[in-house]
Amino acid sequence: MTNDDFSIIGKPIAMVDAAGKTTGAGKYTDDLTMSGMLVGRILHSPFPHARIKHIDTRRAEKVEGVVAVITGKDAPTPYGILPVGHDEHALAVDKVRYVGDNVACVAAIDEATADQALELIDVEYEVLPAYFDPEEAMKAETNLIHENKLNNIEKDYHHVFGDPEKGFAEADCVAEARYIANEVTHAAMEPHSTLAAFEIDSQTGKPGRLTVWSSTQVPYYLQHKLALVLEMPMAQIRVIKPLVGGGFGGKSEVIPLEIIAAIASRAARAPVKITYTREEVFWAHRGRPRTIIDLKTGVTKDGRITAVKARVVQDGGAYCSYGVVTILYSGALLGALYDIPHIQYDGYRVLTNKPACGAMRGHGTVNVRFAFETQMDELAAKLNLDPAEIRQRNLLQAPCVTINGLRVQSYGLPECIEKTVERSGWKQRKGKLPRGRGLGIACSHYVSGAANSIIRSDMPHSTVNIKIDRDGGVVVYTGASEIGQGSDTMTAQVAAETLGCSLGRIKIVAADTDLTPIDIGSYSSRVTFMAGNATLRAAEQIKKQIAVAAARKMNCPVEELIFRNDVVSRKDASVARAPSPADLAENQPTVSGHVDGQILRGSLQQKRKDEGPKTSMSFEEAVVAAIDFHGALTGTGSYAPPPAARGGKHKGAGVGPSPAYSYSAQVAEVTVDEDTGEVTVHKVWAAHDCGRALNPVSVEGQIIGSVWMGMGQALTEEMVWKDGMLMNPGLLEYRSPSSVESPEVEPIIVESIDPEGPFGAKECSEGSLAATIPAISNAIYDAVGIRLHEAPFTPERVLSALRAKTAHKKIDLTEGVDPTAPIHFREHGGALWFRGKGPERHALDPARRETRAETGGDD
Amino acid sequence: MSLPQFTLLRPRTLQEAVGALGKHASNIRVLAGGTDLIPSMRQKLFEPKYVLDIRQLAELKGVYHHPGGGVSIGALSTLTSVEHSEFLRKHYPVLSEAAATVASPVLRNMGTIGGNICLDTRCLWYNQSLTWRKGCGFCIKKDGDLCHVAPGGTKCWAAFSGDTPAALLCLNAEIELASESGVRRMPLRDFYTGLGDTYRTLQPAELLTRVFLPESLADYRGAYRKLRVRGSIDYPLAGVAVVMKRSNGQVADVQIALTAVNPAPVLVKGIQQLLHGKAVDDQLADAAAVLAAKTAKPLTTSALTPEYRREMIRVFTKRVLLEISGQWPVVSGR
Repeated sequence: MTNDDFSIIGKPIAMVDAAGKTTGAGKYTDDLTMSGMLVGRILHSPFPHARIKHIDTRRAEKVEGVVAVITGKDAPTPYGILPVGHDEHALAVDKVRYVGDNVACVAAIDEATADQALELIDVEYEVLPAYFDPEEAMKAETNLIHENKLNNIEKDYHHVFGDPEKGFAEADCVAEARYIANEVTHAAMEPHSTLAAFEIDSQTGKPGRLTVWSSTQVPYYLQHKLALVLEMPMAQIRVIKPLVGGGFGGKSEVIPLEIIAAIASRAARAPVKITYTREEVFWAHRGRPRTIIDLKTGVTKDGRITAVKARVVQDGGAYCSYGVVTILYSGALLGALYDIPHIQYDGYRVLTNKPACGAMRGHGTVNVRFAFETQMDELAAKLNLDPAEIRQRNLLQAPCVTINGLRVQSYGLPECIEKTVERSGWKQRKGKLPRGRGLGIACSHYVSGAANSIIRSDMPHSTVNIKIDRDGGVVVYTGASEIGQGSDTMTAQVAAETLGCSLGRIKIVAADTDLTPIDIGSYSSRVTFMAGNATLRAAEQIKKQIAVAAARKMNCPVEELIFRNDVVSRKDASVARAPSPADLAENQPTVSGHVDGQILRGSLQQKRKDEGPKTSMSFEEAVVAAIDFHGALTGTGSYAPPPAARGGKHKGAGVGPSPAYSYSAQVAEVTVDEDTGEVTVHKVWAAHDCGRALNPVSVEGQIIGSVWMGMGQALTEEMVWKDGMLMNPGLLEYRSPSSVESPEVEPIIVESIDPEGPFGAKECSEGSLAATIPAISNAIYDAVGIRLHEAPFTPERVLSALRAKTAHKKIDLTEGVDPTAPIHFREHGGALWFRGKGPERHALDPARRETRAETGGDD
Repeated sequence: MSLPQFTLLRPRTLQEAVGALGKHASNIRVLAGGTDLIPSMRQKLFEPKYVLDIRQLAELKGVYHHPGGGVSIGALSTLTSVEHSEFLRKHYPVLSEAAATVASPVLRNMGTIGGNICLDTRCLWYNQSLTWRKGCGFCIKKDGDLCHVAPGGTKCWAAFSGDTPAALLCLNAEIELASESGVRRMPLRDFYTGLGDTYRTLQPAELLTRVFLPESLADYRGAYRKLRVRGSIDYPLAGVAVVMKRSNGQVADVQIALTAVNPAPVLVKGIQQLLHGKAVDDQLADAAAVLAAKTAKPLTTSALTPEYRREMIRVFTKRVLLEISGQWPVVSGR
């Protein structure tokens, strides 16, 4: 089928929620308010690692306007997003594990009162030695961050597929190097926010049902964890997701404030809203971990990969979060992009005393892809091969199953490479640009949803219900979470196209656990594929019901009917026509219904008007006819990935498999200022195979956004640490690119039409990101001949590498870490005076502050 | 982060304003654009009892040329108005260039030239929330007695991070300070102390009211170059301003000032002696650049390493000198 066969699919359509967002009428969680609502503020740990000896909240409780003060003992049940990682408490119970860890919460009449009360909570800590470098943390035997995690290793995996030694023996050329990618975070525009309110049970007078509004990507998981920690039945908890201002993975698990707000609300017996400050968002984090990648790749002299060996160490922070999944993705997604016969993977997810890392756009694959694609470029240079061509020589022969058990059915990578090469003028321009200007190419891929859900069960991953009543309005109930990516729009398009009705008929009710069936959430780029398929099935089911009724009216077999443009017509009728207003008026039903099998008055009237079998009916007519037979129409559809897509049997095989993979190839054009080391990205050509672009304008937006976010990680974004203190917990010092740095991005949509995707669609929101970083690093090499093995490529790193090549006087521009051959992570300069001093570190300061506050005054 | 409690005072005349300053001198902060003060107050860096909102003082707004007597710029003139003043652009280009690099267009619409001159010094260990500062221990600049940047030291090294003062120093600007007891005028270079904590000599009861540019430096060539990671929003990580007058292709007068690499914006000493009467060439520009780099004393108060920032002072100085001597392709730089 081509896009001409569709009315709504494949058309550039404005997001269905655009008006609310652009006019300000749309409501985000922090916009919500309730009578009697309190403000919650959280007390955070000032220490990276300490035992809590005692918490005294009495002084805080006495502050006028404070309604409740809660601590860890109010909800001591541990939780975590992964069943294997229940290691977090909403508020610390015995230990704090990073600067910013949650200690207590005050619910008060306003923010200032809550802030004031926080200062009056007395906490006695016993400071413990802390671990900030993962390779150091792995050596530790005492004072472990979590008692049950030996050597502070959250999880390690050792996978061997094929015979890597044999593969390297067959190689003509082997590259081996260490790559380091520094830590980045999502920086979503909307900070996390949660409003929790209990209904007072009319029988007992105690808090009964709980409703939580939260900026989350995963309402169902939130409902699940709230039930666990608050020890309530899930059915007593309703989670509603209002508009969400971006997630990128940072809201794809339960964030402490979501549970804290509920506990505080229960204690205060009033609605409590907590909105994180930007600094708290950085502490909640769950971003992409600092990663050390030791990568070895062997190739034959004609550029065929013979074996890959990777050792990956991730600085995971203080809690498991999605860590086990991240470290598995890093290994699994070595496969499914190129044809690699032998793979060895050793992955270590390590705990450190820093905010927990989690899932972030391109989860697990981005940093390893940076290393891999850079090394491919290095090998191409060694072998004197064109970097585009070495990639073309290692393509998969899809459909296939990779050596590590990933099933690939649709594979648009060859076309992606072809198109970017063509559009960028690669063949004519590569190597011929003036000094300081260069082109680089890289590829990437990503899953269209994980084939195995994080909670192992036979539950469908998505279920969608559709209801159509006599008004001809189509209400789609979906648990899928619109977080700005276009989930609601996709759902409306799929439903409208399947039913052959106009988009205006569709109303989406989404992400409300009381109303909508379970969907496991918006993460791993799963919504279009899975919720899309569920929507398709639900719509088809309902369409069948309409078709039966319409076929009777038209006196033809069901198979003869075509649903399109609000008209149901017979195949043999010429072009389907839209109903005229006169038709519509004539067909307005009067009161009618379906009671105990009797067809009531309205439809009888209508029947009387009918003069013989028709060749077409309006959508409304058909719906009314169907309702006359069935009552209000309902359809339901669900989706679970097929067993064949669920991967191999080895330990950890559950992560990586997906029903389909997206593919991307990119060419970046950059200039490098050789005096300053500043890199400017001028243009990025980004081809992305998304199966079928259900909404091309939305797909292009996702590609551009991915490239832009990748460019941030490549050039400017970096969480800077000093002994566990985050030096840049704000959007001023954590530098996401501004509009000034935004290059022209030319999105190129490649459609491989996946056999299992809804209308052939796959993911489009994550896969492009990973290619951008190596495309830029390879372009820098092309421009000035330096190979950076540490990201981001900040000006001092670039200049340091440039200077190393020239006879310039040696200056240590990068604090001892050579960005072309990094060995360990760099800490921000300066010195914390307390390093290793333990509890006496604070002896002076808080006291001094309090006495000063009394005398008042600044300067 | 909530704002601390304070009483907002909104004087309608300069008289009222300095009256309020005199009365509450020990516990008041002045709000002009508020772009720096408000975030700092949220971080509890300032918890004044009174905030003096001077935005209604129309007499402190605007750029005025006094033929023969130079230019006066009201301290409340927005950075946007300084950036877009045709007169300044034509006759004092170094200043409009510097103003154009401050923060972002939105912030320049709010921020004022007076605020940029009075801007608090910045340090990654200081411009943080109260919780954060508690975590690592309070420093000399606020509530503590130690320095994280220079451990063991007793001096505060927070970096002055305004852009326009570098240009103003090159232009020998003077400033006018008003208080209840009258006005005084001083060279801008005497305004800064060179210390990170008590970085300016403004008395608590004084208000910066005007900036004066001398007629004698009108029409000097000039340029400002700013090091930052992003092309917008960021404070300078290093900044170089240069003005120059040439006669017969030789340097007749020159000034170079640096910002963001010391606790105060500073003029590079000895540059006049080095360049006067000579034609700027690559070698001479190199020597001047090395001199400028020696004047810079960056520490780990911000992003990018101190060594890199000092090196950029050298690179930028050389570039700007060659650029305004017409020997370097003019690039509209970051």
